[in-house]
Amino acid sequence: MTRDSVIAHTQSYFDCGLFETEIGHLVSIKSQSQIKEGLPECLMYLTNAMIPSFKKMGFSTKIYKNPVEGGGPVLLATRIEDPKLQTILGYGHGDVVLGFDQSWTKGDGPWKTSRDGDRLYGRGTADNKGQHLINMSALGSVISIRGKLGFNAKFIIETGEENGSRGLREIIESNLEAFSADVFIASDGPRVRHDWPTVSLGARGGLNFDLTCALREGGHHSGNWGGALPDPAIILANAISCIANKTGQIQIKEWLPPAITPATKELLKNIKLDGGPSGPIPVAMWGDPDLSSAENVFAWNSFTVLAMSSGNPEKPVNAISPTAKAHCQLRYIFGTDINNVLPSLRLHLDTNGFSNVSIAEPPEENRGGFMASRTEPSNIWSFVVRESIKRTTGIQPAVIPQMGGSICNDLFTDLLGLPAIWIPHSYSGCSQHAPNEHILLPLCRNALEIMGGLYWDIGAETK
Amino acid sequence: MNDSERNLTSAINLSLREFDDLEKYFSKLEKLVLFPTESQNSARLPVLKDYLIEGVGPLFEELGYKLEILKNPLSGCGPILLATRDEGAALTVLGYGHGDVILGQEGLWKKGRDPWKLEIDGKRVYGRGTADNKGQHLTHLTALKSVLEVRGTLGFNHRFVIEMGEENGSKGFRQLVQERKKKFSADVFFASDGPRSEINKPNITLGNRGVLNFDLLCSLRKGGHHSGNWGGLLANPAIILANAISTIVDRKGRILVDGISIKKIPETVKTALQNISRDGGKYAPEIDSDWGPKNRSIIEKVTASNSFEVLTILSGNPDSPVNSVPPEARAACQLRFVVGTNLNEIIPILRSHLDLHGFNNVTIEEPASSNRISFEASRTSPDNPFAEWMQAVVSKASNSQCGVLPNSAGSNMTEVVQYDLKIPIVWLPLSYTGCSQHAPDEHILIPLHREGLAIVTEVYWKLGDKTEGFKTSATKTKLTT
Repeated sequence: MTRDSVIAHTQSYFDCGLFETEIGHLVSIKSQSQIKEGLPECLMYLTNAMIPSFKKMGFSTKIYKNPVEGGGPVLLATRIEDPKLQTILGYGHGDVVLGFDQSWTKGDGPWKTSRDGDRLYGRGTADNKGQHLINMSALGSVISIRGKLGFNAKFIIETGEENGSRGLREIIESNLEAFSADVFIASDGPRVRHDWPTVSLGARGGLNFDLTCALREGGHHSGNWGGALPDPAIILANAISCIANKTGQIQIKEWLPPAITPATKELLKNIKLDGGPSGPIPVAMWGDPDLSSAENVFAWNSFTVLAMSSGNPEKPVNAISPTAKAHCQLRYIFGTDINNVLPSLRLHLDTNGFSNVSIAEPPEENRGGFMASRTEPSNIWSFVVRESIKRTTGIQPAVIPQMGGSICNDLFTDLLGLPAIWIPHSYSGCSQHAPNEHILLPLCRNALEIMGGLYWDIGAETK
Repeated sequence: MNDSERNLTSAINLSLREFDDLEKYFSKLEKLVLFPTESQNSARLPVLKDYLIEGVGPLFEELGYKLEILKNPLSGCGPILLATRDEGAALTVLGYGHGDVILGQEGLWKKGRDPWKLEIDGKRVYGRGTADNKGQHLTHLTALKSVLEVRGTLGFNHRFVIEMGEENGSKGFRQLVQERKKKFSADVFFASDGPRSEINKPNITLGNRGVLNFDLLCSLRKGGHHSGNWGGLLANPAIILANAISTIVDRKGRILVDGISIKKIPETVKTALQNISRDGGKYAPEIDSDWGPKNRSIIEKVTASNSFEVLTILSGNPDSPVNSVPPEARAACQLRFVVGTNLNEIIPILRSHLDLHGFNNVTIEEPASSNRISFEASRTSPDNPFAEWMQAVVSKASNSQCGVLPNSAGSNMTEVVQYDLKIPIVWLPLSYTGCSQHAPDEHILIPLHREGLAIVTEVYWKLGDKTEGFKTSATKTKLTT
């Protein structure tokens, strides 16, 4: 009964093909949370796949109906070994984004896993079915070897993350005792590089808004009027250029977070992002020129134009279009004065002569709205996790102050008041949210070892 | 009143008598409107030829013109009619009209009007092509007929072109003319199309703005990438394109690129524009006086300045946006330009401008094929003798001060006449800006058209007049500003 045995146990679980079989079952459930038809499958994911697995490991389970109409149910699995022991709260989401069935060019489509070399294709393999399966299996390995965890475990599986985690806050708020814990440890998102174990201490927030320049009804002949009639697309382009310059640097100082601390700079010093061979190539010259790429994405705010349109791009005609619109997003880190983002934008636009550009609500289906949150790098749990990973892999993990993406991390840090540590098991070239989503099998095996070792260590320390 | 004046009066009266029998006159126009000559609709290609053979051709033949139907060198494009009447006179005049129309937009006309039928409603006559351009070339034919009946001859040689692809970018027109320069050669160009600048005052127009459509594209990669994982790392093509556009044209529509903006309006043009303004009609959009080049009047902005437009812009999926960095951004752009900017220099100038400002990741691309237009700018100098002669004739005929528009704001095939045939150009527009040209409910105004017919009759009469007529020797000087 040693640390090595639990790691060996996770390896044999993977090597005998059980991991692949189990993930195949999870992927076959079409738990798409952005469409109505997916809701029954979301419930089925909990009742047919999650609950039996947790029960087998001696967890009690409870399904919370979502108080928000159209929101997926939430499962809480609980295993209390001794109320005096520390409680570790885990998390995963069983829902996935749309399948885009027709657009897959690799594998067997979204709903059937298919292996190609090191890659395993399927919707949810990376986001997030594969990731919580790894953590659950590692818990199972510890129980198998030690006979118990050595700590109390709670595990949330929600089924609405891809739809904004609606309702999860209300469920936790109404059941604070049931969800209470000492630390939050979960997995989602990508490592900084596929072969570099990563610890993330928070998540950027996302604020979406529209910029609209609507000048009149209907188009007017560009021959008769060109030169006399304001062109909203030109105005909007100029407005965007005064928000972010041609290398993406934010021009509104109120939008920026406090300066990056030396401790954070030290953490990110050696981190280079790498999306793998199929991932996009980051542009060194993008973002704030005084920051490294890693600092720009993990410790700074970024402005993105998600979509933009004016006129009829499908069939351009020689007319000055009446309106132009850009759907925009600010990804921001903890510490940003988020309540001042839109007021300062208004002031900035007015000061620069863009009172004709209005700030509007984003479309219903893409409201964003995640809050930024983070656990300080000096928190004891960040050391516990880093040391454990180093012990298992021999590699000092990359530590990022927050992942670039947004997730409901603030529920755990702010609402439950927990240190929150994320250990992502995917990589940035995984085509998450796109066709051809996949995981890297060697990475999964490595992640199983890490999680087995980590749960083992936590159980040992709290003995 | 001398004989010539008396005869002129007879010719004008003849035209007006013809016109005032409204039912008869407009049944002639209806015959032309009945041909659904949509040049943007490939299914109508045979109709374009029918219009020449059965519609307008016989009207020219009646007047003793010889007809020649010239095949368009580009496939899928309509033919061109060249009607010629040679009198062995000293002066040769080139006329022009176009028999094609824009799409009928059936179902969108008020009161259930059929675009292919003529409907007289009070002072208005509705129908597709009434204003643009069937009604206008019928006016010329009517005027020519009156002159011939009174004088027996025109007094000048006449070549009249009826094009069938003007609304589709006059594709093939330049090549067709270039291959037969001799057939089209003339001393002066006189024709009617488009609206007057002001409804209550005639004007002549001496050219057109040029136009070039092109796309600006910032295409960085295939597919979108999660804006959380990648926002701050991956260059955003929409932001780059917006910044690129902002270096070309500022938030007030002022062009910032040397070489594609007009720094100084020529004095002759400035002077001519002092006597003409822009009457946008009832449905004209509200004008922001702070848009476009500084310290210029509206008429100077639209007819004596270049303007840059972003016709459409697209990045990501605006109908259903997702949180990802879009892979590319595209803007369909247009430069309208006047004489002083050369069509073939625009793209190289823009290219070096973009490079200079660090936008080598923004490419200049061919525009969508459905909207691929380019015309050189044209303008006959307002002090060209033919322009001055025409201004005087129209002023006298209308008993008003005829305005001179050095060029119109829009674009058309005038450049072919200016640069390939090298003759002075005078357009006498007979419609008005509220005529709903290019929209449902296209119409002409009966009083305006009646006045136009009288003026055109007088112009043709005087062109062929032995004493007052225009002398070709005067055209050899000062063609452009």
